[in-house]
Amino acid sequence: MLLARRNLFRDRTRFLLTVAGVAVSIGLILLLAGYRSGVYRQASAYLDNTPGEVVVAERGIRDFLGTSSALPAGAEEAVRQTPGVERVIPVISQFVIFERHGRKDGFFLVGYDPARGGGPWKLAAGREPAADHELVIDRTAADQHGIAIGDAISVLDRTMTVVGLSDDTTFWAGSIAFARISTLESLLRAPGLRSFLLVTPAAGVTPMALRDRLAHPATEVLLKSEVVANDRKLLARVYDAPIGLMVAIAFLVGVLVVGLVIYTATIERRREYGAIKAIGARNRALYRVVTIQAFIAAAIGAIAGVGLAYGGGAAMMAWRPQFRVDIEPAAIGVVLAASLLMALVAALIPARLVAHLEPAEVFRG
Amino acid sequence: MTAFTLDVRGVTKRFGDGAAGVEAVRGVSLAVEPGEIVLIMGPSGSGKTTLLSMMGALLRPTTGSIHLDGIEISALSESRLPEIRLRRFGFIFQDFNLLSALTVLENVAIVAELGGVGRRPARAKATALLSDLGLGERLDFLPEKLSGGEKQRVATARALVNDPTLILADEPTANLDSKIGHEIMNLLRRIAKDQGRSVVIVSHDQRIRDVADRVLWLADGRFTDVDAMATDPVCRMSVERDRAVRTERDGETFYFCSRGCREEFLGRLVPSTG
Amino acid sequence: MSATLLLARRNLGRNRVRLLASVGGVALALTLTLALDAIYAGVANQLTTYIDRAGADVWVSQAGVRNLHMVASWLPGSVTDAVRAVPGVAGVTPILYSTDTIAARDERAVAYVIGLPADAAIGGPWSVVKGADRVGRGEIIIDRGFARRAGVSIGDSVIVLGAEARIVGLSDGTASLLNSVAFVSFDDFRAMRGGAPVVSYVLVKVAPGASPEAVAAAIERQVPSVTAQSKTDFSAQERRLVMDMSADVISIMNVIGFVVGLAVVAITVYVATLARRREYGVLKALGARNSALYRVVLGQAVLSVALGFVVALAFTGLLVLVLPLAGVGLELSISAASLAKVGLFALVIAGLAAILPVRQVSSLDPAVVFRRGVAI
Repeated sequence: MLLARRNLFRDRTRFLLTVAGVAVSIGLILLLAGYRSGVYRQASAYLDNTPGEVVVAERGIRDFLGTSSALPAGAEEAVRQTPGVERVIPVISQFVIFERHGRKDGFFLVGYDPARGGGPWKLAAGREPAADHELVIDRTAADQHGIAIGDAISVLDRTMTVVGLSDDTTFWAGSIAFARISTLESLLRAPGLRSFLLVTPAAGVTPMALRDRLAHPATEVLLKSEVVANDRKLLARVYDAPIGLMVAIAFLVGVLVVGLVIYTATIERRREYGAIKAIGARNRALYRVVTIQAFIAAAIGAIAGVGLAYGGGAAMMAWRPQFRVDIEPAAIGVVLAASLLMALVAALIPARLVAHLEPAEVFRG
Repeated sequence: MTAFTLDVRGVTKRFGDGAAGVEAVRGVSLAVEPGEIVLIMGPSGSGKTTLLSMMGALLRPTTGSIHLDGIEISALSESRLPEIRLRRFGFIFQDFNLLSALTVLENVAIVAELGGVGRRPARAKATALLSDLGLGERLDFLPEKLSGGEKQRVATARALVNDPTLILADEPTANLDSKIGHEIMNLLRRIAKDQGRSVVIVSHDQRIRDVADRVLWLADGRFTDVDAMATDPVCRMSVERDRAVRTERDGETFYFCSRGCREEFLGRLVPSTG
Repeated sequence: MSATLLLARRNLGRNRVRLLASVGGVALALTLTLALDAIYAGVANQLTTYIDRAGADVWVSQAGVRNLHMVASWLPGSVTDAVRAVPGVAGVTPILYSTDTIAARDERAVAYVIGLPADAAIGGPWSVVKGADRVGRGEIIIDRGFARRAGVSIGDSVIVLGAEARIVGLSDGTASLLNSVAFVSFDDFRAMRGGAPVVSYVLVKVAPGASPEAVAAAIERQVPSVTAQSKTDFSAQERRLVMDMSADVISIMNVIGFVVGLAVVAITVYVATLARRREYGVLKALGARNSALYRVVLGQAVLSVALGFVVALAFTGLLVLVLPLAGVGLELSISAASLAKVGLFALVIAGLAAILPVRQVSSLDPAVVFRRGVAI
C-alpha cells in the first residue's frame, strides 16, 4: 500500500531505527541459536569423529562427557570375543583441570591406543603421542595459553611435553587433549582401567543388533547416537535456560522497538489518519496501513539481521575461537517466522490508537 | 541613546541567493515605545512571521539592525541570545505551545527557573501570576484539560514570568472564540498600560485594532500606510486600495478582497434597489 | 530537583507506553546480566558445599589437583600414614572420590560419590534426615531430593559405580544444580576400582591452635607428590574454577545484555525526543540553552535506566528468594561486584543513549514555534 510505504520511507532516521531494532533482535536470536547448536556440535565432536557405532560404559552411565566411567575388568576382552564385532576402540577419559598463568581451564583428557584408534582426527601440527610423557592438545587452547609444540606443561603430578596440536577439539568446558592409554592408567593409578569401548559392528550386523548382543548386566551398552543425545541433555541443563531466556528477551526487545517506532510515527500522523478517516476510510484500511508498515520494516530488518548474525558469529569466533557458531538454515526459517510474529504483535500497539481516532481530530488546532 | 524599547532599522531578510533568492522582508523600520501596543497586520506570505522571528532574535536579518533596550540584538553572538530571549522577551503563540507533560504551574515556573530563579521563588511567582490571571484553581491541571482561553492565559503568564520589556504575540486570538479573544486582548492591554511593557502583535484579527495604539500593514515585505487600506464590506478583510477589486455605489467607493466578495456585495444590494 | 530534571521526569512519566518500553527493556537487559552473574555465583557457592561442610581443615590431593568438581585425584594409600605423621595433624580420614551417575528406577543424576571408611571421623554426611549416617558394604546414603524424584527410599537400591547399593540413609543439603553427593563404603569403592591401594583425598583435622595454612605447607614439604590446601584455599580454588570456566560465556552474555540495553534506551530516548521536538523548539525560543535541553534528554535516559536498574534488581532479588522454593536445586547469589558492574553498565548505557538525540536538539530551529499545523 502506497501510504504505508511512503510513511515508512519519508523519515529515514525513523525507518532505520525500526529496521535496526528488528535487525538487532533477529541477529541476536540467530546468533544465540547458532551458538547453541555450535555448543552441541562441539559436545559430540569426539564421538562423531571416532569410529564405532556402539558404546560400552560402566553400568548406570549413559553419557560420555559428564562422569568418570570405569568398566569392570575383563569387559574389553569379553566384547572383543563377541561375534559380530569388527573393531573395538578402548579409551580412558578423565576431566582434568589445567592451570597456567593463574587461569584455570578444563582438559577432557582422552587416553587412547594409537594402534587401535580413538586419537585426534585433525592434527594441525606435530604428531601423535609416542611415549608416556607426550600429549596432543587443542590448537586454540594452546594459542590462548601461549603453548607451542615442544613446551612442557604439568598435568596432575606429571610434567608432559606437547608433541601435537589438534583442530576441532574445543568444547563448552574446555578442550580435548590426547595421551596414550597407558599414560592415563598411571596418571589415575589404575592399571587396566577402561572407561569406554567404541565398537564397530562387522559387515551385515546392524548397530542395534550388536547393541542387543553385547548387553550385559555389568555394563551399559548404548548406540553412539543415544550417548550423543544424553550428552546434549546434560548440556541442555546448563545452557538451554539462559539461552532460552535471552532469545525471549531479544524477541521482546524487537517487538518493543518496532511497536514503539511505529506507534510514534502513527501518533505524529494522527491528524493525517484522522483526515483519511474523515473522508470515509474504514478502520480496516488504517489497520492495513499500520500493519503493512510493520511488515515492511520487519522483512527488511530480518534480512539485515541474518547478515548481522553471520557477521557477529564470525566476529565472535575470531575473538574467542573456542566458541563455535553454527547458523542452521532451519533456524533462519524460524527466525523469519519470529520477525513476522514480531511485526504482527508490534502493529497491534499502534493499531489500537488508530481505531480510537476520531475523524474530528482533523479540525482541531 | 533612545527611549525606544524596540528599534528596528532598515531590516531586510533574504532567503537563498541570486536569482532564486526571495526577499521576505524589505527595508522595514519600526520603533516601539515602552507601554505601546503595535499591531502588525498583513495577508499570508507578507513576511509577518519572518519579521516577528527577527524581532524575537530567532532569525538574523540579512541587512539592517534591531535594538532591544539599547542592545543591538541582531549583532549578538548565538551564545548570548538565549539569555536575551529568556529575560527580555515574552512570547505568546497562536498554538499556545505549552509543554504537554508539565502542569499549568510547572509550565510557568520552569521558565523562571531557566532564568536562574530558585525553585521555590519560581513556583511562588508562577502561582501569583496565574492566580492574578484567574487560574488559581487550575495550577495542577495538565494543558490538555484546559480550554483554549485558559491555555492562552497560561502562555501569557509564562511570557510575563521573567519580567520582559517586550512581549511578542503571534496570532494570539486565532484559536479562540471572539469573547475569549477579546478577554486576551484586554489582558495584553492591561499588561502594556499598567506595567509599561511594550507589546508587538502579529495578527489577521480586525478586532485587535481596538486595543492597538498603532496598526501597521505589512505587504510584500514592506510596511504600507494604513491610510491606504480599506475594509472589505463583505468579509471584513483589510485590503490595499491600490490593488483591490472595487466598485462605486452612491458616490462611495467600496474595496473588496476578491471578485467573489464584490459579486456578493452587489447581489445583496439588488433586492433593496429593485 | 532542577527544572530540567523535572521536565525529564514528566516527559517520561506522561507517556506510559514509552516509559514501559524503555524501563522494561533496560530492566530485561540488566536482569540478564545480573541474573547470569547471580546464577554463576550461586553455582560457585553450591559447588563448594562439600568442601565447606566435610569438616576437614586441610585437603591433601594428588600433586597439581586443586579442585574437586569432576576431576580425578589418585594417591597411593601410603600417603594417609605419611600425612598422619606430619606435626600439627590431629586426625586424618582418607576418602575415595569420583564423579559418577547414580541411577534409580528411571531417574539418573550426576553425583559426587564419596567412598567413606567405616571409622571416618569427618567427610561424611552432615545432615541425615532419615536412616543411618554410616555406610557399610553394599550400602549408600543419597540426597533426599534425588530419592524423592526417583521415588525411592530407605531399603531400595540404586546403581552406583557400576554396581547396586542399598539406601540406608537420606541426607539434606547435599544437592546442587549440577550434582548431589552420595556416600558409599570405602571398601566397595576400592573394589569397583579394581582393588588398587589408592585414595583420592586425605582429609586432615589440625591440632587445636595450629594454622591450617601452616600445616598444609608442612604436609607439602614432608610428603612427596601431593598438593595440600587449607579448606579456605581449596574452596577459593573451586570458586575460581566456575568463574574462569564460565568467564567467556559470561562476557559474551554481558556484551549482549549491554547492547540490548543500549539499543532499547537509545531508541526510546531518541523517539521520545523526536516526539517532543516542537516542545524543545519552544523551550529554545523561550531562551533555554542547548545545554539545558541536553540535560533534559540525559535526565530522561538516566531516569529510565535508573528505574530499569531498580526493577532488574527487584526482579533478580525475587528470583533469589523464589528459586530455592521451586526445588530445582538452583541457588542465586547477588554479589557486590556484580551490582557495581551492572550499575556501571547502566550509567554508560544512559550516557551513550543520550548522545543520539543531542544532534537532534542542537540542530533544532527555535523558529518552529511560528509554524503551525505542521506535523513534525
